[in-house]
Amino acid sequence: MLSDVITETKNQAFLFCNEAIVRGALESDVKVVAFYPGSPISEVLDTFFQISDKFGIKMEVATNEKVALEIVAGASMGGQRSLTAMKSVGLNVASDTFFSLGYTGVNKGCVIVFADDPYCHSSQSEEDGRFFGPNAYIPMLEPTDPVEAKAMVKEAFEISEKFKTLVLIRTTTRINHQSTIVPLEPLNRTPFEKKSYRAFNMKFSTVGSKARELKLLMLERIKKIEEEFNESPLNTIEIGSSDIGIIVSGISYNYVKEAAFKLNKNPSILKLGTTYPLPKKKIKDFIKDLKKVVIVEELSPYLELNIKALAKEVNPALEIIGKESGAFSEAWEYNVPIVIKALRNVFELKLELEYDEILAYANNLKSILPVRIPVFCPGCPHRATFWALQRAITGKSEKLAVMNDIGCYSMLLLNKDIYSKMHPDDLLLAMGATLGVSSGISLSSEEKVISLIGDSTFFHAGLPGMINISNNNEDVIVLILDNSVTAMTGQQPNAGTGYGPGGKPKNKIAIEKVLEGMGFQNIIIINPFDTKKAIAPLKKALDDTGPTIIISRGPCALWNDRNKRRRGEKIQPFYVDFSLCRKCHTCMRDFYCPAISMESEYKEYTDDAGKKWTGFSSHISNELCDGCGVCSIVCPYTNHEARSEKDVIKPYSKQREVRHDL
Amino acid sequence: MTYSIMTCGVGGQGLMLVSNIIGLACAEFGFKIRTAETHGLAQRSGSTYTHIRVSTDETIYSPLIPYGEADVLLSLEAIEALRNIEFLKRDGIIILNDYIWHPVQSTFERVKNPETKYISSNDILSQLKKITDNIYTIKAIDLANEAGNPLTSNVVLLGALAKINGFPITIEQLKKIVPLVVPEKAIDANLKALTLGYESI
Repeated sequence: MLSDVITETKNQAFLFCNEAIVRGALESDVKVVAFYPGSPISEVLDTFFQISDKFGIKMEVATNEKVALEIVAGASMGGQRSLTAMKSVGLNVASDTFFSLGYTGVNKGCVIVFADDPYCHSSQSEEDGRFFGPNAYIPMLEPTDPVEAKAMVKEAFEISEKFKTLVLIRTTTRINHQSTIVPLEPLNRTPFEKKSYRAFNMKFSTVGSKARELKLLMLERIKKIEEEFNESPLNTIEIGSSDIGIIVSGISYNYVKEAAFKLNKNPSILKLGTTYPLPKKKIKDFIKDLKKVVIVEELSPYLELNIKALAKEVNPALEIIGKESGAFSEAWEYNVPIVIKALRNVFELKLELEYDEILAYANNLKSILPVRIPVFCPGCPHRATFWALQRAITGKSEKLAVMNDIGCYSMLLLNKDIYSKMHPDDLLLAMGATLGVSSGISLSSEEKVISLIGDSTFFHAGLPGMINISNNNEDVIVLILDNSVTAMTGQQPNAGTGYGPGGKPKNKIAIEKVLEGMGFQNIIIINPFDTKKAIAPLKKALDDTGPTIIISRGPCALWNDRNKRRRGEKIQPFYVDFSLCRKCHTCMRDFYCPAISMESEYKEYTDDAGKKWTGFSSHISNELCDGCGVCSIVCPYTNHEARSEKDVIKPYSKQREVRHDL
Repeated sequence: MTYSIMTCGVGGQGLMLVSNIIGLACAEFGFKIRTAETHGLAQRSGSTYTHIRVSTDETIYSPLIPYGEADVLLSLEAIEALRNIEFLKRDGIIILNDYIWHPVQSTFERVKNPETKYISSNDILSQLKKITDNIYTIKAIDLANEAGNPLTSNVVLLGALAKINGFPITIEQLKKIVPLVVPEKAIDANLKALTLGYESI
């Protein structure tokens, strides 16, 4: 809860991990923060967004993670403690600057929290970001829960200032999306003061001979940090069995502890909080007299390969149980059952485990369940845009290639059955990748290429690809789905939204002006909520040659609803008049709105000509309906331009009713 | 003892409020708690869940409840109750909102073949009964409307949870927390929803 993140009176609070990270930064007297949102770390941005003004913190919602890192690095060089947080694929975007910062170092404390996403809950890959630390010679800490995450933020600032280096804190989704009771310390905030960059007399340039010189200093620095980490209380040993030990970091520690408790076993445990540089001396001491060591870490065998090398020096006979031994997988998340299964074998227990049976039985029970795949929200502009696009491409579908990108519109891929005509699974790679790939497909293939990109992704990683399309006069249609915010991560503002932290106005960048400056001449703006009128320009674009831009502009429904509520406006739902519905199912067949479902009782309607229409009517849940009214445009028996009682789908004004079952 | 509650529903039903109230009560009244939540795609109408583990004494390690170890499965929507059934222990307790939110994919199936039916409460209940007979089916939306706010069905179910033997937090304790987390004008309706839920089983 926000009030607990900023409390000055409580000594503990129930905090979400991303809130605990913010609290740790507040307690560290952080002065500058910058972020681009991304699950599982978006709430760090969201929390700072609401409180940065109160604490005199300079905050920017940056155009992408690279810019965010550069902002906080610059702030650190300028003498301010600074912090950014990003998802691991965001660190890929930031990595060019990140590697150089390894060489130059920083001035005041500068911390990057980055979150990996094992199981790809909300990411395109399961990449293991831990390799960034050693690759860039930048120290890395790993908490096991929100309590440690908060403490490590404070520790990271200390390390950063002591060694004049960036410091990484690596989390995973299950750490970020965990809540628990976190001990709090005083905030002790100091007022923001500008410093003199000249007075610090520090230089941050690296290239050629300068880089070669810095490389040697960097190696020296990381050696000193390793010595410190060998003694660091962030790496803890719990003494148990003298034969069997476990080395673990991150969320897996929690699974190991519960698994050992359930098996009634007491292995020695080395919990690593500093995973780069590894405390090699401490690890060697831990493994030198063991018979077996179990390495428990999600994703790649990062600890395992390092520990194998160390074992060769101090205990060549040590049996190392991990991924390479087959005990654990490099894929997906772990949990207690996975760890128990592995430990049962290590301890040679003849124990029947029921987990597989429970899962198999449950899966059997679940065989009757319908899928529930995320879809566009009621009122979403993307649903309306895609309805028009599906009409526009009728008959041409087989001559198209559709390149998708990262954003809410990615959900086309998840719903490929219902959007099959649009080839929703042709391609989806990474932020902004749609544009360059579209150029390549257009160079090499006969199909007409449609490239989809959202407004936030356009600003984040779309600009170079767009310039390339214009510069090379590629025969590509770029459909920009502009819903005015970074919707998928929780509706944070972007460069085109017009406000920033605390709701303060910001210079609003107009996408069409940017495109004009890039030299695009064929730019059309459509209103997705006026769906039928959007078909013609889309059709025309398919016949045009050369670069064609369609901007489909309509606000994100969730964001728009929140703004409406703030302004005191009511949401006016629509309803289906059962007495007039022709049961043609057009609204359900083509529109896929979660607010529309099918009645389960036969209904009959006789029209003026005496024709009978029987079947199951459609039904709009007025609890879910957002009032966008697009279904009433889609309905062949509703005249949305001159509404009347004869319409099938009409605005609803009666007392809200909720139906239990259909 | 660690008491584990698996909660689930559909995005937009207010599942987070349930774990927030429980968590704040734990912080206030000296219990331990660890939760694992679904965030991520900021959409309405997707599956959501929160693992909640509460303890009066022992340390809680895993935020995820191991399969077959939840004492209670609390579901704001019937389909999602069955979707998470592997977490409930044999003969555990189910607190079920008598409400089905049909996925748009099911509607699409019915459009293709109108004779197919939506899944029904009875279909789901008959499967749940193969795990436990301790099922409390609550018309939470009716009770929420009775409380004066149709959006309080989450709090109705929380009230019912407070009645369950073994759940360490009392209804009185929850009543002290609710006003801290809901908008001021919704406090009365939420407190009434909590009481109606408590009295419903």
